[in-house]
Amino acid sequence: MKLSDVALVAAKELRETLRDRRTLVVMVLFPLVVYPLVSLLMAQVMSSHTARGQARRSRVAVVGPLAAAEAVRARLRADAREFDAGVVAGVSRADAAADRAAVEAGALDAVAEVEAGPRGEARVRLVYDEARDESRQAHDRVGAALGGVLAPGCTPLFSLEDQSVAPRARVGGYVLSKLLPLIVVVMIMLGAFYPAIDITAGERERGTLETILSAPVGRFDLMTGKVIAVATLSTITGLLNMTSMSLTMVEGIRLVGATTPVAIPWTRAASTLIVVVPAAFLFAAVMVAIGAMARSFKEAQTLLTPVYFLCFTPSLIAGLGDWDLTAAAALVPGVNVTLLARDLILGKATAGAALLVVASTLAFGALALTLAARLYDSERLLAADEGTLPLGAWVRRLLSIRGRDDAPRTGGEAVAGASVLASTPTPGHALAVFGLGYVLLFFVFIPLQSWRLVPGLVLSEWVGLLGLVVLYARGTGQRLVDVLRVRRVPARVLAGAFLVGASAWAVIGLLAEWLAPAPPELVESLRRLVAPQGGRGLAPTLALVALTPAVCEEALFRGVILRGFAAKLPRLTSAVLTGTLFGLFHVDLWRLLPTGLLGVALSLIALEADSIVPAMLAHFVNNACLIVLVQEGAVGSAGEMSRRAQISLFAAGIAVFAAGAMLVRGKKPRAPAV
Amino acid sequence: MKSSSGVAVLHLTKRFGAAVAVDDLSFSVAPGEIYGLLGPNGAGKTTTLRVLAAILVPTEGRAELAGVDVARDPQGARRQLGFLTGSTGLYARLTGRELLRYFGRLHGMSDADIAARTALLARGLDLGPFLDRRCEALSTGQRQRLSVARAVLHDPAVLILDEPTVGLDVLASRFLRDFVRGERDRGKAVIFSTHYLAEAELLCNRIGLLHEGRLIAEGSPAELRARAGGASSLEEAFLRLVAALPAAPRAPAPEAAP
Repeated sequence: MKLSDVALVAAKELRETLRDRRTLVVMVLFPLVVYPLVSLLMAQVMSSHTARGQARRSRVAVVGPLAAAEAVRARLRADAREFDAGVVAGVSRADAAADRAAVEAGALDAVAEVEAGPRGEARVRLVYDEARDESRQAHDRVGAALGGVLAPGCTPLFSLEDQSVAPRARVGGYVLSKLLPLIVVVMIMLGAFYPAIDITAGERERGTLETILSAPVGRFDLMTGKVIAVATLSTITGLLNMTSMSLTMVEGIRLVGATTPVAIPWTRAASTLIVVVPAAFLFAAVMVAIGAMARSFKEAQTLLTPVYFLCFTPSLIAGLGDWDLTAAAALVPGVNVTLLARDLILGKATAGAALLVVASTLAFGALALTLAARLYDSERLLAADEGTLPLGAWVRRLLSIRGRDDAPRTGGEAVAGASVLASTPTPGHALAVFGLGYVLLFFVFIPLQSWRLVPGLVLSEWVGLLGLVVLYARGTGQRLVDVLRVRRVPARVLAGAFLVGASAWAVIGLLAEWLAPAPPELVESLRRLVAPQGGRGLAPTLALVALTPAVCEEALFRGVILRGFAAKLPRLTSAVLTGTLFGLFHVDLWRLLPTGLLGVALSLIALEADSIVPAMLAHFVNNACLIVLVQEGAVGSAGEMSRRAQISLFAAGIAVFAAGAMLVRGKKPRAPAV
Repeated sequence: MKSSSGVAVLHLTKRFGAAVAVDDLSFSVAPGEIYGLLGPNGAGKTTTLRVLAAILVPTEGRAELAGVDVARDPQGARRQLGFLTGSTGLYARLTGRELLRYFGRLHGMSDADIAARTALLARGLDLGPFLDRRCEALSTGQRQRLSVARAVLHDPAVLILDEPTVGLDVLASRFLRDFVRGERDRGKAVIFSTHYLAEAELLCNRIGLLHEGRLIAEGSPAELRARAGGASSLEEAFLRLVAALPAAPRAPAPEAAP
């Protein structure tokens, strides 16, 4: 073996691979950003859900001879956090059949039928519904409450036996409902994955793109045809998996020698077809849209892997928890189809919920299809690539090794006459800076703030976020004021931004409260940040929680990130993307919606005014309003307000917000940089 | 605009960002004429032809195919066009017959018309032996013949051929040139783009020389040689005409990606 050749080949392969930025992003940034984010969000969801489950008190009726039953009641009543004392105390009927019917109907979680045993112990037959989570929880709780109780002489005071009222078909449905929805949704996505790549990036790679683009077929028609093909394959994958899994489950239970066979509710399992088709359409459209952006099969795989992961996460969250299919949940892609599939198997889906899920999934699918048709644009697909700034040049500039003479590249060639120009933000820059910010957030800022909140927050924002923007500006040879778009704006625009900030907290806060109310623990932790025990004073709090994010977070999001997106994408798309990233940056599922909406509003202000200054002002005013109101004790959770007061506040907020937005709009200022 | 049944290009400009790929280009092609669009790599040939095929949108100016404005009615323009380039691939997992049926239907042809045209082209292009084989199993020459059949299946008024002989052997190139002459004789307006100047000299009635997106000369091969001071070949004429241009610094236009 000639080691020098081995080293030479290895060095060349590494150089080539490392120059493939997109591969690098997936290899490095993706694991560093997405996995912690998803894990954290999932942990938040699951812990909140578990807390809610634990907070629920079980409704257990105790029936039987007075003395024996009273001993059981006393034990259960002793734990008021786990058992509904009213039910435990109030029911003492001898009609066990009626109580069983109540368990079956869900009016009771369990019935403890007590009788005196031969050795003085109380024999408890616990009647419960093993196909219902609340009933299973009650079963476990009663077992824990009575199981370990010993009489003097170490004989058990209670002997327990179980009896489930659930028919076998319902138990089969219950077991199936825990596994099938998630697996079917995942398989539908997997079924869409490769066909979506093949018909988009694969077409380009095989050279048939130009052939089809020169045929008289509309882009939307073309993409609709492609999406239908992918959705069909994906549907077949979903159906095959559904059937295979149901049969496997029956066979598996038989093989492990279960005494009571589990029956599969085939009709209900088949009814999940209602979910399969729209879900297949949605995932097919999303994957075709992403595939349409890729230049090669490899690049499509690189782009689709994180998308697959992100699409899978909502379904995983829905599949793991015992969530209700509420109206809000019915509008969340991924979550809705998983929950509806579960409810269909359990036989508790309502027509309204099913209709809402199907309609919203199809609507999201249509949106993705429209996006796919726009992305499958011949101008973009056939034109040379966007300008990129080579990493080496960026580092040289950053270190000022070679001044500012490295020109940006276009189509792989230096543009003559552009050597004096600096590289302006691009969508790639925006995503790279966001990725770096996110990595810092997880591995530096959050630990810093956990260590010491105030100094941690100050360092994270002023040194971390603002420092990142300064480094970016220096590295790309731009002036900071140009990157940020620090420009004078008319007083009218500032007044508008003030009004938007002064009303956004109410409008957005109430919307979030109605659609996805935050758990009390989160509201309390935010309240503590703004009004800590022992007090911090209004001015320091304003500086820390209003001024700091208004400057530093705006610099990152309405500076580099928004300007990067806006360089290539339409305004609204740029604002929505920036808002979404802003929401994600707050690393809190419950704050995702309000911070995301605020981010969109602030982005639109910055774009309308062509200046970051009014966005900073609106951000400051929004946070300042919340600080003042919380410190004055005037507002806490919106849940404390009556519905009428909420609606009045919302209406007033909308009016002020609209007035502010109108003031911000109008003739765009073109003032010189300050 | 000169022709309502051929090709008319008027002050066509195409920019990609700051780079100018095609700069104020005007020319026309009459029915029954082969117009050669010549120039080195990066001259703007492919971009021009993609604009004519309504694949790219012109930044300025206009172009018409058989009287149809490509920007206003792109699908109408594509119906008038047979488009064949070195990079127009075939669907590997379809047979030749399936491929022709697919494109025939996209062009709005009836199944009977498709069958009749397929039979005619199979005889003319000698497709019979491989028409029912998958495209992935065909040789380069067979694929090119099938591509030609795909491009002319709907009997378009205009044919655009961009570097169609790249990668073909002598016999296949000859076959293709003969076919193009045949189409011209049937009254088609043909634009033939190549950087093989000798090939253009053999085939084209008129030639436009493109350099850095601009048309620097136009005429019959003999006229162009004469204009270049009696150059012995078209290649020499091109080099002399380019050398005679005033030096003007400009950003090189990025040629559209394949």
